[in-house]
Amino acid sequence: MSEKDANPSAKDALVGGTLFGRWEKLRGREGTVVGITAILVAVFPYLFARAPVVSGFLQGYQSLATLILIWGIFAIGFDLLLGYTGLLSFGHAAFWGGAAYAAGIVAKNVSGDPIVMVVSGTLFAVLLAWVLGFLSLRRGGIYFSILTLAFAQMFYYMAASPLAFLTNGENGLTGVEVGSFLGVIHLEADIPSVGGMLLGTWLYAFVGVFFVGAVAVAYRILNSPYGMVFRAIRENEQRAEFVGLNVWRYKLMAFIISGGFAGVAGSLFTIHGAYVPLQSLFWTESGDIVVMTVLGGAGSMFGPVLGVGLYLYIENIVSTIQALTIPFTDIVLVRDFGFYWHLLLGVVFVVVVWVVPDGLWGILNRLRELAVDLGSKAAKRLRARSENGGGGQ
Amino acid sequence: MSLLSDVLVILLNGLQQGAIYVLLAVGLSIILGTLKFVNFAHGALYLIGTYAGLFVALNVPLSNGKLAEWGFSSFGLDIGFFAALIFVPIFVFGVGLLMERYLARAFYDRPDTDQILVTFGLAIVVQELFRVLFGSNSLPFEQPERILSFGSFAGLPVSGPIALPIVGNFPQWRLWVIGITAVLVALVYLLVEYTDFGLVVRAGTRDAEMVRLLGIKITRPYIVVFGIGAALAGVAGVVGGPLNVVNPTIGTNILVPAFLTVVIGGVGSIAGAVLGGIVFGLTTAALVSFAPAWSQVGLYAIAAIVLLTRPQGLLGDEEVSP
Repeated sequence: MSEKDANPSAKDALVGGTLFGRWEKLRGREGTVVGITAILVAVFPYLFARAPVVSGFLQGYQSLATLILIWGIFAIGFDLLLGYTGLLSFGHAAFWGGAAYAAGIVAKNVSGDPIVMVVSGTLFAVLLAWVLGFLSLRRGGIYFSILTLAFAQMFYYMAASPLAFLTNGENGLTGVEVGSFLGVIHLEADIPSVGGMLLGTWLYAFVGVFFVGAVAVAYRILNSPYGMVFRAIRENEQRAEFVGLNVWRYKLMAFIISGGFAGVAGSLFTIHGAYVPLQSLFWTESGDIVVMTVLGGAGSMFGPVLGVGLYLYIENIVSTIQALTIPFTDIVLVRDFGFYWHLLLGVVFVVVVWVVPDGLWGILNRLRELAVDLGSKAAKRLRARSENGGGGQ
Repeated sequence: MSLLSDVLVILLNGLQQGAIYVLLAVGLSIILGTLKFVNFAHGALYLIGTYAGLFVALNVPLSNGKLAEWGFSSFGLDIGFFAALIFVPIFVFGVGLLMERYLARAFYDRPDTDQILVTFGLAIVVQELFRVLFGSNSLPFEQPERILSFGSFAGLPVSGPIALPIVGNFPQWRLWVIGITAVLVALVYLLVEYTDFGLVVRAGTRDAEMVRLLGIKITRPYIVVFGIGAALAGVAGVVGGPLNVVNPTIGTNILVPAFLTVVIGGVGSIAGAVLGGIVFGLTTAALVSFAPAWSQVGLYAIAAIVLLTRPQGLLGDEEVSP
């Protein structure tokens, strides 16, 4: 044994020995997570929209890459509430749409600076989340879901009609003009040289910075004692109460934080589209974020982002597929395949909730564990054989 | 007209609007109260009821959706509204039984959030299925002309205006909606309060384990309760269909007010659901005539106020709430 410890062989490193162990240690570090996220965000639009073979296969485009990050921020925030604290809100459209409107209205009346827009939108969402959280959290379980739903619907109808002078009613907020960043950089313009090839537009870079920031903040919160309390509440609220924690305040804070994330995302959505549809306040929008989060995997850091990517990809790309053919042939399996995308998604959603409550991320995790398991078993067998062989010589 | 007649018209319109909410809320409420199951697919049952009612009662032309593409130029048996009132509840009752057996039962022991999620997913699936089959356009669902007509018996005319004292002319069908709702809710109330079946169900609400120990198979009453709740949603679809537009989104749109009605009235209380529905109906009708812009907001504002001052609902028991 001591012999083996003294000189770790290349074989060990290959099959999950020290190299893997070192990676496992590194994996848990905050800097690593944020760094890797930043790298992925940087190469994502290139792979998605411009890389020679891959993008042809994915058929993605720049604008969709930006949209995925924006909804990704929303989903990370939503998962703080649903996945980690165990509260199912059906009212997050109020924060997403509310922030989008706030940012748009500020842009029209005060300043079109993107930073000002994001700050005002987020501020509005946080304040709104404070009030609605304070009211909705008076009851738990299904009542919480229904109360959040009710309050959010109230905002939808307010925007639709009594507040139409501000929100432009049914037509949505049109004519939002987004100014240039710091008065110099136009967000629609392409980044010059290598940056442009990787990231594409300044808008993507702008959103990307917020995305990485969102990941960093969420990671910090969840791995702090404060975030531990969220998980404790999810596991057993009563027990958390008995240990002396003020559960109500923690739940309210989780609600406000996730509202803030939704606010950042909603403001960025206005900057991205320069338009706020009334639909952004409707409760089906809350439903969408629920579907995305659960599909990807509630209760994991990156699962919801995966869900967002999948959802938006299906919504924007798969829905345009005319006919589903057997690959490399002309045999048509389903005509007008794109027509069924929402139905398909609904069926997948039901199956996921039923069979794998931890979503696609959970499936991937299980596959990874399986692979590691098989790998270590294979390694053990390999080692045993080589030791036997060595003894024979 | 005079103020009195205005008030009476608002009252009648409010009752009629409330009647649809009541039908949905009573179904939701008995499922939630007895089975502790949160059914976000209740709107989908309403949707199924509406389309099934359309199918039995009328024959409407189809212009888009897959059915039209597959060569079905029209949809429906055209055998009258009375037939729809009989067949649709039976059909949706069956749907409810299947739903309880193959979906809800698997989720009784799982958290509320899982129940909400899976039924929400089911609601999406049903809505999309109808969108694929019928397209997103609204279908015409005309108000019935007469019900109870068999062969040579002409039946009762239910369409057109009827002259009422003070109020004057009032659309007759709306009164029928109120009447049908009143009869059905009374029947359910009697069933739950005054029969052995109701006794078992109510006992199960209090302590399912004890009922089981007494040798009563609680699953059978449960599945029937689910079926009754579904059938009520089906009736709501049939009687509500001709009053509103018919398209695949009606299910999700009616779900929120229906749930609020339950929560306002108090979960598990039939009287509460009725009261909640009436409060909502009257509020909407009054706001529609006095401040139309606020008509939808008012509904949610009332719900919020009631819940903040009386979280268990107007007629709810603290202990019944799950």
